[in-house]
This record gives sequence, structure tokens and C-alpha cells, in this order.
Amino acid sequence: MEKLVERKEELKAAVKEFILREFLPGEAAENLTDDVQLISGGILDSIATLKLVMYFEERYGITLEAHEVDREHLDTVHDIVELLAAKQ
Amino acid sequence: MSIAASVKPGIGQTPATGSEGRIGLYNYLAVLTQLALVLLVLRQFQIESAAFLRLAMLACVGFAIHALLPLRMRLPFFVVLSMAGIGVVMGPANGVWMLLIGSLLIAVCHLPLSFAWRGSILLVLGGVLALQRAKLMPFPWSEAIWPILGAMFMFRLIAYFYDLRHDKTAATPVQTLAYFFMLPNACFPLFPVIDYKTFRRNYYDDDAYRIYQVGIDWMVRGVIHLLLYRYVYYYLTLAPHEVTGPTELLRYLVANFLLYLRVSGLFHLIIGLLYLFGFRLPETHNRYLLASSFTDFWRRINIYWKEFMQKVFYYPAVFKLKKLGTTKALVLATLYVFAMTWFLHAYQWFWLRGTLLLVPQDILFWTILGLLVVANSLWEIHRGRARSLGAQERNWRSVGVTIAKTYATFWFICVLWSFWTAESLQDWFGLWAALAGPYKLETLLFPALALVVIGLGSIPTQTVRNVRASAQDDKSWMRSRAATLVALVLLIGVSREEVSTQLGSEVATVVHSLRSGRLSRLDVAKLERGYYENLLSVDRFNSQLWEVYTKKPANWLDVENAGLKRFAGGFAQVDLIPAFVSETRYGQLSINRFGMRDQNYSETPAAGTWRAALLGSSSLMGWGVGDGETFEALIESRLNAERAGGEIAHHELLNMGVPGYKPPQQLVSMERALRFTPQAVIYVATGREPSQAVSYLAEVMHKGIAIPYAPLRDIVDRAGVHAGMDEAMALKLLMPYRREVLRYVYGHIADQARAAGSVPVWVFLPQVRAGNWVEETPEALETARAAGYVVIDLSRVYEATDIQDIRLAEWDDHPNARGHQLVARRLYEALIDHAAQVFPHRAQSAVPGSQVAQAGMAVPNDPRPSRGMDK
Repeated sequence: MEKLVERKEELKAAVKEFILREFLPGEAAENLTDDVQLISGGILDSIATLKLVMYFEERYGITLEAHEVDREHLDTVHDIVELLAAKQ
Repeated sequence: MSIAASVKPGIGQTPATGSEGRIGLYNYLAVLTQLALVLLVLRQFQIESAAFLRLAMLACVGFAIHALLPLRMRLPFFVVLSMAGIGVVMGPANGVWMLLIGSLLIAVCHLPLSFAWRGSILLVLGGVLALQRAKLMPFPWSEAIWPILGAMFMFRLIAYFYDLRHDKTAATPVQTLAYFFMLPNACFPLFPVIDYKTFRRNYYDDDAYRIYQVGIDWMVRGVIHLLLYRYVYYYLTLAPHEVTGPTELLRYLVANFLLYLRVSGLFHLIIGLLYLFGFRLPETHNRYLLASSFTDFWRRINIYWKEFMQKVFYYPAVFKLKKLGTTKALVLATLYVFAMTWFLHAYQWFWLRGTLLLVPQDILFWTILGLLVVANSLWEIHRGRARSLGAQERNWRSVGVTIAKTYATFWFICVLWSFWTAESLQDWFGLWAALAGPYKLETLLFPALALVVIGLGSIPTQTVRNVRASAQDDKSWMRSRAATLVALVLLIGVSREEVSTQLGSEVATVVHSLRSGRLSRLDVAKLERGYYENLLSVDRFNSQLWEVYTKKPANWLDVENAGLKRFAGGFAQVDLIPAFVSETRYGQLSINRFGMRDQNYSETPAAGTWRAALLGSSSLMGWGVGDGETFEALIESRLNAERAGGEIAHHELLNMGVPGYKPPQQLVSMERALRFTPQAVIYVATGREPSQAVSYLAEVMHKGIAIPYAPLRDIVDRAGVHAGMDEAMALKLLMPYRREVLRYVYGHIADQARAAGSVPVWVFLPQVRAGNWVEETPEALETARAAGYVVIDLSRVYEATDIQDIRLAEWDDHPNARGHQLVARRLYEALIDHAAQVFPHRAQSAVPGSQVAQAGMAVPNDPRPSRGMDK
């Protein structure tokens, strides 16, 4: 259980780091909270979403399905982490 | 401020706010009061149709009950209310058919078979329905249900089936019924493609009061869009032939694009209504006039469509193609999405209209937009795009760059849009000749206006999108409340005549016109043209005229498709087929052996017969009334019943009306008429005689048909029109000569009549629908008088009569049997009033050609120098 929590924290850090670097350069890291709406809020458009998906597929050797690329699974950092954790 | 959501979305019927969808009494009354104000605005401005107002009232009452019900009962209540809405709008029988067909489609989605099998069965069922829609198979229900049934299922069934396959959350039957038969859909064939997953996921996922309140905001925003649309539609739109210089060209481009406000307005209104029942859906449009690139435009306009395409086509394609590399996969998937968008627009057109839409502009438009979005996407992949969690830090330079990009995108989209909506490619290319026209100060009006709007819109503000209203801070929440209330009060205030008249007569006139949903002058002209032309170009997807035509039954017999005309060659091109008989829903339509809709008279009139030949078009011929019900036949009967005796034993009126004939074609009719030795030639003119006259010349020049009248050829030469020229361009060049063309046509007919010893009579028969055509009436009247006709002006014949009582149908403005009776009575009286001029002599002798000498004709004086034969 502890391992899972730890793993999720690592994933969260990686996800935030990627989003800040790729899509929000210059943004203060503390503004990107776990529940910021990324797709609904217009941060992740289709291209950005695919960039994110492909990056993590490659980084963690996982495979996401097309139908998982949506608000339900990727709208917040929290959602993304849950999805990535479930796939590993 | 960040755009963090403080409330986690709930799925299904469980709100995550802990409020169980409850609302306090004060807030409930506040929402109800605002809703009553919205209803008042809808009524005052006659927003959309009377059916929509009924539906909105039903929704208002429904909301009052729904908001007080326990949460578990709300969705079933919404379903019942939606079914009632279908019944109210479509009628009980149609409503039942829609429910049955819809339920069958939904049931197939849930059969205990594999997805492949279910998909195949759906395709077969869709195929059968398509055959019925195309009228290749019979169906027992009314045709009226097709557009709405199509709107409910053509895309939502795809989204539903997709989610059924991938979404593991079980759908309840109530959710499914609510999704497909949702309340506002019964009124709107154009409906946003709401995502099923979002529809369920966002249900009461925020504080109930805030959801309802945002719904009111969206409805008010929708009404404002619709009123802006009306202003553009009534006052700014131009026909291609009216684009004579750069000022008009820029106005044409902007107005054409802004007509889209209707779609955004309707979608806001629809989504706002759904908010009232707890469906907190995302925005459908996001300030699309402020798009700063093509990808940005694609993301902002019709967002539901973009998301539907993304989910069902784009992501699956990218995932399948990603072996090729990310960039290649993105490019190919984007092109695929635009190809599918084109196809699905044609598919949508089919379900709504029942015909296929294969227009080159459509294919080219989606191809060009697709390529632009691909290019823009590649740029974004490599260069990225500016994003921010809060208000972006901007300096003058960055604001300037944004404005410049937005301005350029706006104009590019305007040009592309004009291309998409042009009636033909030739029409569109013809527009650009206007750039050579005069440049005046007013040419800067639309560029300056666009710059101001874009400049103001680009001022950095905090834009919070699609977050729950409960995440908004109190200040901005109260600001939104105030804006909505002020807008409502202003709209209601200005809709009152006692207020609008205080603002000056011009404002009062504009407000008055905005208060009714009528057709614009251009669409009225198109509808008038519908008498004559098979309308292929009724604007696609956002035209009110399109909606009028949507109501037209498929078995409605078009003038053009009735099969009563034949190609005759020569200048007139067509005439009526001799001895043609057809049973129409209005009775028998018979053409005699001479090609007239009349009895089989002898070519030579019998002794004691007074004969007149009537020249005109479809209204004279009697489109939409049975034999014997035309005003011509009614007058003839009455003359024979009341005026026969003495020297005139019998009256014969020869109906030579041919549907679609324009003034120059009457020159040919006149030549035919002379064969029958009439003692009077009655020219029945309708609205827009001068412009109809030149439009026919533009048509024949475009088709390369020889003009056998030297003065007309001379006019065409002077106008710089040549054979094969694009019709819109030819029309533009000929328009300044319209009076001259009409003068020749009227003069030549009158001359020929007088030369044959006949009295030329000119009757003005108005359109049943009031409109801008009246602007051309004085010109036509004056020209007829100058040509020496006995002029009978029936302009007021339909006054004090409800248009519904005298026209055939909403989509067909021909007078019905009652309209013909009205015309017959007035024209008869007018002929009797002018008896000294119209019946100046004795009846026909048995010897053709000798009537002038025998009758001692008193032909009205011809005030003009006589014309020789010009042929």
C-alpha cells in the first residue's frame, strides 16, 4: 500500500514536471494543483493530450487506449496519475 | 486565480456537492423569476418558433416542479417532460412514431449479441430508414418527423454506441431515454452533438442553484446572439450581384460569416435549457470570432462537434497510425477527421432534407480548412502555443501580436466562409471583381469595426472555462448575476414600443424588426425564385429559409418539377406541354392543345366573341388551384354571366401564363397571343419586374442563348455582358439598365398589341407576402403608363387579409383558391371601371383580322414615338 502511494507521488511529480515543461513554461509549480482542470480548462488540447499520452507510454512502457483519452481519465493531474498507476 | 475545481465530478445521479440537488427557497424563487423574464424576452422577440415558446413554457413549468422533487425522481420526470414536449411540438401520433422508432434503435444497441453484430443490425436498420427518407420505400408515419428524428439519432446514436462499448459504467434506461429524447430537441433540427458520457458525468455535479443560474446565463447569451444574428440577417446581408465595390464586398464577407451567430445562439439556448434540469454541460462555443489561428478556430467553434470527431474518429485513428510516428499520425488523422466532417455534413443534410448534398464548395471548404489546420498543428507541435493557468502576463507587444493574428484569422475565415456558402464557384469568383470598384471612406467601416471588436476582445481578462460555478469567486459570480439581470431588463425594456420609440424612429424601426422572426429580403427573393427554380442553394445549415423548406412535404409538387413544361428552344426556352393533364392535391391541372392552361378554344374567335389574351407567370397560370379556380377563369365566367348580351355574346380570356416566365419571355408569349386575335392583351405583372427583366437577360447570356431583339442586344453590349459570362457578374453589369430593359419589353408588347388592333392592359398583381419587392413597383407602374397601357393597379388586393388565408403554404407563396377569388373580384371590378378603354368596341366579327375596322378601335394614345419591329 505504501509502495503504491509512493509510486503515485512519483508519477504525480513526473506528470507535473512534464506539463509544466511542455505546456506551461514559466508557470509557478504551486499553481498546478492536483485538481486543476486541464482539458476542460483548455490547457490540454488534442495535440497536447496526445503528446502527453505518447510521452508516458514511452516512458513507462504502457499502452493507453483511444477511448481513455478523455476528460474522465486525463482532466486533472490526479486523474492522469490514477490512469498511469492502473496501467502499470 | 487558478482554474482548479473544488468539487469532484459525480457520475450518474449522485451529486458530489452533498447538497443532493437541493435549492433554497430564496434561490429557487430568484431562478423562477429570471426564468419568467427569459420567457417574456422569448415571447417579446418571437425567438425561433411559436412551438419553441410553447416548449419553453413547458420547460419553465417543468423546472418549477423538477427542482423541488427528490433527486432520484428528477431524471424520470425529465424523461416524461421530454416526451410531453415531443407530443406538444410534433403532435401525439408523430410523437408515438418517434418514440417507437427511437426505442427500436436503442433496443438494438442492447441486444445480447457481440458489438459487431449489433453494429451490423444498426447499419441495416439505418439503411432501411435511409431508403424511406429518400422515399424509395414507403413509411406509415408523417414526413414531419424525419428532421427531428434525424437530429436525435444521426450522431447521438454513434456517440452512444461508442460509449456503450468503452464505458464500463452501466447506463440506466432512464438515462438513455433522457439522452435521446431530451426536451429541447423536439424544436430544433440543428442540435449540438452532446456527448453521452459528459451528459451523465456532469449531471448535478455542482451546487443545484449555481447550475440553474448558469443555465439562465446561457439562455440570455443565446438570445443576444440570436438578436445580433437577426440584425445581420435583416440589415447587412447582400446578394452576390449587389457586391459592386470593395465596401459591399467587405460587408458581404463579414455578414455572411456572422450569420453563424444563429447556430451559436441556438446552441447556447439549448444548453441553457438543459442546465435547468441539472445537466451541467460544457460550453458549445468559445468566443470564436476571437480565434487567433486555424486550430484555435476549430477548437472554439462548435466545440461539441470537434469533441465528437476527436473521440470517435481522431483519437482512434491516431492510435492506429502511431506506428508511423507521432507527426505523421497526427497529420493523417486530422485529414481523416476533415474528410469525415465533410461526409457527415452531407449525411446530416440527407437526414434533415432527404436529398444528397454534393456541392463542390463543400468538399473544397473542408479540404482547405483541413489543410490549414494540419499546417497550424504542425506549427504548434514544433513551436508550442501560449497557455496559462491564470490571466496571462501580457505586454503591449504580445497583445498587438494577438490582435494581428486574430484579425488576420478573422478575415481569412470570412473569405473561406463566403466560399463555402456561395451558390456556385462562379458566383464566388465573380465577387472579387468588386475589388476594382471605388474605394471610399466607408470602405473602412467593416475593417475598423472588426478591429475594434477584436481589440476589445483581446484585452487580457480572466477567462474561466467549463469549471463548476461553485469554483468561481463571489465577486465574479455576482458580476455575472448583475450582467444577466441587466441584459434581461434591457431586452424587455427595449422590446416595449413606448421605450424604443423614445430612442428615435430609427432605433424603434430596428427594434421592431428584431422583434419578429421573418425572412430577410434576400431569402424572400429566394423564396419568390422558388416559384421558378429548383432550389439547390438554400443556404446550408443556418438559414431560416432552409427551415421553411424543411417543412415542405416531399410530395409537394414543385412548379419546376411538375412536368408541365417542356424545353422549346429559342429565346423563351420553355413552354407548357400541350394537352398535359395532371391531378394535383389542389385539383386537376389541364393544358389545352395550344399550350395554355385553359379550355380548348378555337384558334379563331367565333362571331360575337370578345377575346383577351393574358400574359404572365405562375400566379396567372394558377399554380396551386384547380382548373376553373384561377382568377382568369373566374373573371371569364362572371363576364359571361353578367355582361354577355348585345354585341358581345361571349367573352373568352386566354390564360397564357407560364410558370417562371420573366418579362422578356413575355415578348415570345405576345407573339403566340397574336395568333388568337385578341381584342385586349392583359399583361399581368408581379413584384420585381425590372430586376426580373435583367435577371432573365443575364440567364440567357450565361447560357449563350441568342437574343432575337436588337434593342435588348444593344443594352447587353453596352453593359459589357458577353455570352457565357457568369450569371451573377452579368446581373451586376445589367442591373443599371433594368429600367431600359423593362421599357423595351413593355413598349414592344404594347406596340404589337396596338398594331394588331388590340388594347394593351397592364395589371399589377402583388405578391401575397409583403416584402421589399414593393420598392420596384413604382418603377414598373411608371414604365407601363409611359408605354401607353391601360393600367390597373391591384397593389392593395390582399390588404386586410391574413397571409395564412390566401397563400398555398409557408414555403409556397402562390395565392390559393381564396386568393384567386379575391383577385378575380377586384380585377373584374377594375375592368368594368375601365370598360370604356378595355371594351371600347363591338365583339369580334367572324372574319379574323378585320376586327379593327369593324370595331372602330379606340386604342389609348401612345405617348411615345412608334417602334419598328426589332427582330
